[in-house]
Amino acid sequence: MGDNNSLYLEGKQVVAPPTMLQMWTFRDVHGKYAPGSTDQDTYEVLTRFNEFGFSGSVAVSYDQTYHNYLAEGDLVHSYSTISEISDLKSTRLGEGCFVTELAEYYDANDVLFGEACITYFKYRIPEKKPGKVSKIEPPKRISPVENHDSKHFWQGLRDGKLLIQQCQQCGTLRHPPQPMCEACQSLRWSTIESTGKGSIYSYTVMHYPEIPPFDYPNAIVLVDLDEGVRLVSQLRGSEPENIAIGQRVQAWIEPVQENLSLPIFEVIKA
Amino acid sequence: MNTARVGDKLPELVIPITAVQIVAGAIATQDFENVHHDRAAAEAAGTPDIFMNILTTNGLVGRYLTDWAGAAARIQRIQLTLGIPNFPGDRMTLNGQLVALEGSEAKIEFKGRNSLGNHVSGIAWLRLKGATTRAD
Amino acid sequence: MQTEKHIAIVGIGATEFSKNSRRSEMQLACEAALAALQDAGIQGAQVDGMATLSMDNNWEIDVHRQIGGQQLNFFARTQYGGGGSIGPFAHACSAIQTGQCETVVIFRGMNERSGLRFGGGQIMNMNALNPDMIHFSHYFPCGFMTPAGWIALAARRYMHEYGATSEDFGRIAVSFRDFASTNPKAFFYERPITLAHHQASRVIADPLRLFDCCQESDGAVAFVLTSAARARDLDTEPVWIASVAQRALPTSRQVTPFYGDSITHFSEFDAMADELYRCADISPADIDLACLYDHFTSAVLPQLESFGFCARGEAKDFVKDGHISRGGKLPVNTHGGQIGEAYIHGLNGMAEAVRQLRGSSVNQLPGADHALVTAGPGVPTGAAILRRAAA
Repeated sequence: MGDNNSLYLEGKQVVAPPTMLQMWTFRDVHGKYAPGSTDQDTYEVLTRFNEFGFSGSVAVSYDQTYHNYLAEGDLVHSYSTISEISDLKSTRLGEGCFVTELAEYYDANDVLFGEACITYFKYRIPEKKPGKVSKIEPPKRISPVENHDSKHFWQGLRDGKLLIQQCQQCGTLRHPPQPMCEACQSLRWSTIESTGKGSIYSYTVMHYPEIPPFDYPNAIVLVDLDEGVRLVSQLRGSEPENIAIGQRVQAWIEPVQENLSLPIFEVIKA
Repeated sequence: MNTARVGDKLPELVIPITAVQIVAGAIATQDFENVHHDRAAAEAAGTPDIFMNILTTNGLVGRYLTDWAGAAARIQRIQLTLGIPNFPGDRMTLNGQLVALEGSEAKIEFKGRNSLGNHVSGIAWLRLKGATTRAD
Repeated sequence: MQTEKHIAIVGIGATEFSKNSRRSEMQLACEAALAALQDAGIQGAQVDGMATLSMDNNWEIDVHRQIGGQQLNFFARTQYGGGGSIGPFAHACSAIQTGQCETVVIFRGMNERSGLRFGGGQIMNMNALNPDMIHFSHYFPCGFMTPAGWIALAARRYMHEYGATSEDFGRIAVSFRDFASTNPKAFFYERPITLAHHQASRVIADPLRLFDCCQESDGAVAFVLTSAARARDLDTEPVWIASVAQRALPTSRQVTPFYGDSITHFSEFDAMADELYRCADISPADIDLACLYDHFTSAVLPQLESFGFCARGEAKDFVKDGHISRGGKLPVNTHGGQIGEAYIHGLNGMAEAVRQLRGSSVNQLPGADHALVTAGPGVPTGAAILRRAAA
């Protein structure tokens, strides 16, 4: 673990890291519990799941309370109860049930020193596809679809420019891009380069679900650009509680991944 | 930790994930499930490689908390949820924030991300000083 | 469109609502359609029109064939997801009134919880050159990928302009969950919440919390619509579509209406309310209940204002005073809404309006004559006023 906490390493009586709670009563590499323990399979329920084809097993959550730390020489014993088995659920791993175990840990004086609540997902391993399981690629942002009407915008960002479409006939600015001016129906357009300055018109902070590769919380701003169009993008560098409608912001055009640049906003410090 | 304040961020901790570390962590925590040391078994279970067991993650979280809180602190409770596995060759970055503090009772929200997304997130309760265990 | 005494809803049907139906969306749609036909006392062979909304994965012809349909004279599908939940009723009315067909089945069947979850950020095929992706290209690369986030921008602006708070949203959730708690069909049957529960629920897309969000559900709902002439021959008491309308404006966008002068209100509703009342020849005061599309609580407040139940910015007080709750003057979503009962893309709200006007709701209001039903806000949308047969 690389844990160099002196509490565990130095002094007259060292104590064990509390996070070791559960492993004191685990079976050894030969599948045997410590001497004096029951011969019963503590995890019989989980074993039974295997018999019904739910052989996949993964821990999904863990809640441990440490009442006391253990010191060298302590003797421990534990009791475990299956508290809940869910209905059949579908997850990305496959179909299975969540099984929750409650375990209590006592010292030699029968004093409760720790409790753990562990939820496992016991699932049916999906049919293996032929060939090797491929390495999981790090997730990427979804790339925009670039077509005749929008390629200039995305190319502009790659070139470090935030481009706003402008009707060549009536001068009206527009965003997001579209081929026809809704004010005068002209198909002739060009672009102007935005200063990237504007004001927050509204915002949200995305907390859940956490979609890779984004950092959470992910602040999203709807910005009134000074040129007169609105634009949605990410806001960086502000604590969620400090974001406010009306704040002045500046966009920085940044490559966020290969072939994709975005205008990332920051609040302009007064 | 006399100066701890709600809102404080714990220093970021980057942990390179290696096959050796995953296997060593599993064995050290008495977890002999084959998906933590046998790549073929992991592949048969539908994952691309061996992956870190929850107890190693738990131990790393414990370390992360006391690296910040110091030897006088006592961890009272850790509540965590696992997300995307830690596979060899990746890095896990732990972040945390002190979200509540009453006297020396601290509540910390933490999160560990790898390149695939969120590996672990949860809440921990620590007593920052004046601990009551026999070690004092 | 004025349809009084011309078009009737004569059958409603539904499957159970769950988080895992354990059967196909096609089966769900067929089960609900058959139940609606049985409710109406109409044979499948008499169904000559089918309608649904854009995100349904079942083709109209396949459902029609399986329920015993013989010839399909009218089929239609309304775009824009939940905003299209009233469109099929508008289309069915038009088709029946112009004599294209006589009996239309409207259905929506979805495994939206056990299958593709809308809240998960993977709503559509993102690698194709299609209108959705061209549109969402301006949002997805930022990680702005869920309906909660898109609606949150309007919610935050509404709070800013009118002083509403998260508690104001919470009171709506509490009220809907209260109705759901006495509805055995509701997922949250016997599970009411308090405002404290709402405030303690985690933030999904600030300012929206978990309990501000509708559910994700598996299930199906279906309806049978027919002409006044055929309705008279049936044993079931018809519920009349007094008026129905769809609306889109230049500011309308696919769930991202961020570019208008104001984004607090769903201006499509503002642009249809007067006409809806005029065609039904009633005023807001005549509406006994409303089934308002509640993908998120925050979207309910502006709807109450757009449809004239209270003044601009006063919906939070209207809600606080209990008017939309049990015993209030305008009970809203007496089935529990999509927050309390199930998320079936708005169609379960329409079903509840029909039950109220038939006198068969589990949370029955005495003497309900008129119900307002809305489709999804934040997209091109629609609304209808239903009328009790004896009214």
